[in-house]
Amino acid sequence: MSRDKANKKSVAGAGVGAVRTKAVTELIEKIKDSSPEVRTKAWLGAGEVGWRAVAALAEAMTDEDPEVARAAKRALWKIVRHAGRPGADKERKNVATHLAGLLADDKPVAVRRETLWMLSEIGEKELIKPIAGLMSNKELREDARMVLERIPGKASVAALMAGFKTSPEDFKGNIAQSLRKRGKKVRGYECVKLVPTKKTTVKALPK
Amino acid sequence: MKRTNKLSRREFLAAAGAAATVPYFIPSDVLAKPNRPGANDRIVTAHIGVGGMGGGHLRDMKNRMNKGEVKIVAVCDADENRLAKAAMTAGPGVTPYRDYRYVLQRKDVDAVVIATPDHWHGVQMVHAAECGKHVYVEKPACCTIEEGKAMMAAAKKNKVSVQVGSQGRSQPEAYLAHRYLVNGNIGHINRVDCFHYPSPEDRNPVPDSDPPEELDWDLWLGPLRWRPYNKRYLHGVFRWLLESGGGQIRDRGAHVMSCAMWWMGADGTGPVTIEATGTSPKQGLWDSAVLMDVTYTFKNPDWVMTWRQMPNDKLPKAEERTGKEPGGKISRPGYGAIYRGSSGEFIHWGGDGGTWAEKKAREWKPGPGAKEVYKSPGHKEDWFKGIKTGAKTIMNIDAAVGVANLTILGNLSFILGRKIEWDQKKQEIVGDEQARRMMSRPQRHPYHL
Repeated sequence: MSRDKANKKSVAGAGVGAVRTKAVTELIEKIKDSSPEVRTKAWLGAGEVGWRAVAALAEAMTDEDPEVARAAKRALWKIVRHAGRPGADKERKNVATHLAGLLADDKPVAVRRETLWMLSEIGEKELIKPIAGLMSNKELREDARMVLERIPGKASVAALMAGFKTSPEDFKGNIAQSLRKRGKKVRGYECVKLVPTKKTTVKALPK
Repeated sequence: MKRTNKLSRREFLAAAGAAATVPYFIPSDVLAKPNRPGANDRIVTAHIGVGGMGGGHLRDMKNRMNKGEVKIVAVCDADENRLAKAAMTAGPGVTPYRDYRYVLQRKDVDAVVIATPDHWHGVQMVHAAECGKHVYVEKPACCTIEEGKAMMAAAKKNKVSVQVGSQGRSQPEAYLAHRYLVNGNIGHINRVDCFHYPSPEDRNPVPDSDPPEELDWDLWLGPLRWRPYNKRYLHGVFRWLLESGGGQIRDRGAHVMSCAMWWMGADGTGPVTIEATGTSPKQGLWDSAVLMDVTYTFKNPDWVMTWRQMPNDKLPKAEERTGKEPGGKISRPGYGAIYRGSSGEFIHWGGDGGTWAEKKAREWKPGPGAKEVYKSPGHKEDWFKGIKTGAKTIMNIDAAVGVANLTILGNLSFILGRKIEWDQKKQEIVGDEQARRMMSRPQRHPYHL
């Protein structure tokens, strides 16, 4: 741990407790390696590096090389899946808290969207507020709505209900869908799943 | 065929004639009933998803239409190029649609054939059942545990006949294999090892881009969370993505494991644990396991099934054949299963439209008192029988969901990197909150169950 501390350095704008330990530095170096084999081995082994790598991997998710960005994203998912294992509550909470830092307005939309879905697997009531806040963001509101639908407990339902009250008209039907799924009755916004909307330009052959 | 309680002229004549002359000759259950065409009626069909397998189904049903078995009235696809081609194939008077919900609104449609990408199967099957349509839906039945539950409930509630496209069960050599195994020719079977060649890696990854003009990308994605278009995530190749096709385990597992569950008499049962390992692609968008090793442990009765995606040079060698066997020559030797019993082993290759049984099963002659097994008249014929009589189809939705669940749970264990415990009775994962959340997947508005 002391060696880790010695190798710590800040990651600009990376959020709560952003630190770069030796393990994180090595992971990022390998994630950015030009060899697909090295990158793959790195992201497959990222789980145990844990929350300390969250911010640096999020940064690498925006790398101009799509394969590096993809390896970083997969590494982050590995961390989420590892942290979500039974009996690892503290680790899961740590990872979730650091992921929540990636929901901030200054982060790229693609990173925020991916983060939302990561939180759908390990997020709990303490993270409902930042997720629910994104229901007012036009680019992310549908993902935020779905993620709240997935997180069990009363807090996510309450957030959906609050979001329903304040959301613009064109999004109320979406939230109503989630509320019905969570067992709530919603008046005035009937289910439209069977209502067709999309017309083709293809014509039938004449009889 | 209109779906009303009133008898059509044709139905009235059939019923009256039967009553007046041979009152009990025609069983009541083959006369037309609400929701069920009569024995001599043509089933009015529509096709949702008409590329790839859907195109094959359309051509097959067109042949059946020419023979007077069915009447095709609509074709549907989110890709206008595919739709235009399908309209040509289907012929004059068949209406093309982009949005499948127009098809479901039509009162004259008795049954739909759904061959869309896998992530649409659950939602469209449920919607079709809710609209009173009988359904043939491609395999794998569903992408999540939740979808499977909804599909079983919708079929039951709406009393529709559902056939899932794991057509291996209906192949002639599948019948021979089944009969051979249930008659104890290899003793008590306690292990089935399924084998398959690897899932492919994307060797030509491309960046996201705008969708082509002919494609309604929003509709193609449907219930999935939104993502930008990528041409490596589309027709055919969707099956290499975990969130849609799920790789070979789901694509072909839905065939090979379907045979195993049927022949083992294990429909309606499930494993207690699932443990998977595998290798991941080294580049590109596709993320399903390349090599894979899954162990399913069943209890009461105790047996084990494995699913292994292995290098081609490790696959069991295919049997030499003359081509005169019921299933002809083995054209797809790269997958199948080995059944291990207390007094011997049996192997089959394929498990889908091509299913090939080892010679000893083909040559086995049942003696007096031998157990007989159901012999499917053909996968579509079995479905038609289900539609007209209410008989359970050979790959009914309950059985198909059971098989799909195996593939889903195998992938979940691979994704999570840990063993999963499963409660078959409750249809739930036990003791793993993250895995439990992954039993369902929130769906995009308005494309939901």
